[in-house]
Amino acid sequence: MFRGAFTIWGRDMRVLRRSLFSELLAVIAYPLTLYLAFGVGLKGYIADVDGIPYSLFIAPGLISMTAVSAAFEESAWSMWFHRRVQRTIEEYRVNPISVYDIVIGKIVSGFSQGAIKGMAVAGVIFLVTPFRFPLEHFLVYLYFIAFGSMVFSCCGTVCGTVIDKPENIGRVQGVVIVPLIFLSGIFFPLSSYPGSVLPFVRMIPTTAIFEGARLALLRGVMEPEYSIILAVTAAVSFGLAVWIFNRKIEE
Amino acid sequence: MRTALSIQSITKVYDGLRAVDSLSMEVRAGTIFGLLGPNGAGKTTLIKILTTLMRPTSGDALVEGHSVLTEGTAVRRIIGVVPQENNLDRYLTARENLVLHARMHRMRRREFTPRIDELLELIGLSGRQHDFPDTFSGGMQRRLVVARSLVHTPRVLFLDEPTAGLDPQSRRALWEYIQSLRSKMTIFLTTHYMEEAEELCDRIVIMDHGASLADGTATELKDAFAHSHLYELEFRANTDRYEGVLRSLPCIESLERKGNVFRLSLPAEEHLKPLMDAIGSADIKRICLEEPSLEEVFIQLTGRKVRE
Repeated sequence: MFRGAFTIWGRDMRVLRRSLFSELLAVIAYPLTLYLAFGVGLKGYIADVDGIPYSLFIAPGLISMTAVSAAFEESAWSMWFHRRVQRTIEEYRVNPISVYDIVIGKIVSGFSQGAIKGMAVAGVIFLVTPFRFPLEHFLVYLYFIAFGSMVFSCCGTVCGTVIDKPENIGRVQGVVIVPLIFLSGIFFPLSSYPGSVLPFVRMIPTTAIFEGARLALLRGVMEPEYSIILAVTAAVSFGLAVWIFNRKIEE
Repeated sequence: MRTALSIQSITKVYDGLRAVDSLSMEVRAGTIFGLLGPNGAGKTTLIKILTTLMRPTSGDALVEGHSVLTEGTAVRRIIGVVPQENNLDRYLTARENLVLHARMHRMRRREFTPRIDELLELIGLSGRQHDFPDTFSGGMQRRLVVARSLVHTPRVLFLDEPTAGLDPQSRRALWEYIQSLRSKMTIFLTTHYMEEAEELCDRIVIMDHGASLADGTATELKDAFAHSHLYELEFRANTDRYEGVLRSLPCIESLERKGNVFRLSLPAEEHLKPLMDAIGSADIKRICLEEPSLEEVFIQLTGRKVRE
């Protein structure tokens, strides 16, 4: 079962391995710049947030941001490219594998790329900054990285499946994905939101990813509310991605 | 002989347009079957249905006894597909493209390694097996797509315009290769090239507007649809006078002149004698009967109008 998915995932990992160094270099540059600009540049202006030094406060969010963004980009562009440009999806479909194999393979590839790139950023931040965390915190943090990457990989798969014009994928990233990521408290505490809005903000899955990840990495806390929201969102988005891909292929 | 493909009243309707209209036919195992038709005739739609890429609106088709509606995986296990456009993975080398295909077919390394070696040798890409398809010419890419479709030794091979866009040398090389597969598997081929259909196919169906218009061998089709007899007549001298004579003869259905040469059609062979009596033989340099071509049959059946 899912042997086809494993084959497609294996193909994507082989391609990633070929260009791993340049991929990682590109993916590390952006969050590291943000870390240096905000974490180091603003150090003299923002002492700490909720008792945590600002440079530490933003580190988990930057790692998570890298992971989920990479998961989204890989899934969206890969699906679009294989469907519209290279037409390899059509080649996959004349082989004895199911539609589920294809979509699951692509989702898992996006998720894997997100996880690898997130870990690479974590490694670099760990190396070049005084940011440290206990190993047990990291294990809790992995839960949020894994489910967060899964959610974004599924969203990317949906975009790559339904969007035909590449510029529209860029627009979705600019109008939906980036605001959702940045407004989920990567650079500021959620307490900055008005009290009336805060309960709704806490319900947003991206808040669950970033806020949950920060609490996990810095305090070793697995916030039940966030972990449930994230698990449910991952399950729903997975089901939705598979269903939409299946329907699109049927068309 | 065994039936490899059985198409049973297949209809496909898109947005009110009947791309395939209650089409039924059978293809015998081990033969090369050619499907001809103008753009939009329904050829690619039919191939997509037979290869399980698309579901028909109604009807069914059996590929080696497996229904495309209910046994999709079983059908895909025994077919090879060469699509109209090259859909090679440009991020994998030539060999990796074949290995990926083999893995999708659950072949083991010890099974697929010699098979891939053999295919690469056969298509003349052994020396380029570790190169990426983007660095190949159109003909090499096409050969690689054909090799990929053969990795798992399919029983039915679908070729959708396999030589489109290739130069004459590459086209002939691919023909030879397809010929070499004859009798090893059933080949279902669509093409726009009449010469290709005549050269390769044991049986040809001409389709248009989703329906079959003619069915038979190339010779049968030409015999059945060549209603008139075409002659080419060349004069040594007095061509203008002979043109007047020819135009006055009621038995000539059509007449074209190019210099001293006339191309004319007669409804039947018995009209040749009155024609010769009228023009005599003094100034005739050459007279020959023109064989009707498959292209003429095709145009006669599908019309001259260019399709969008």
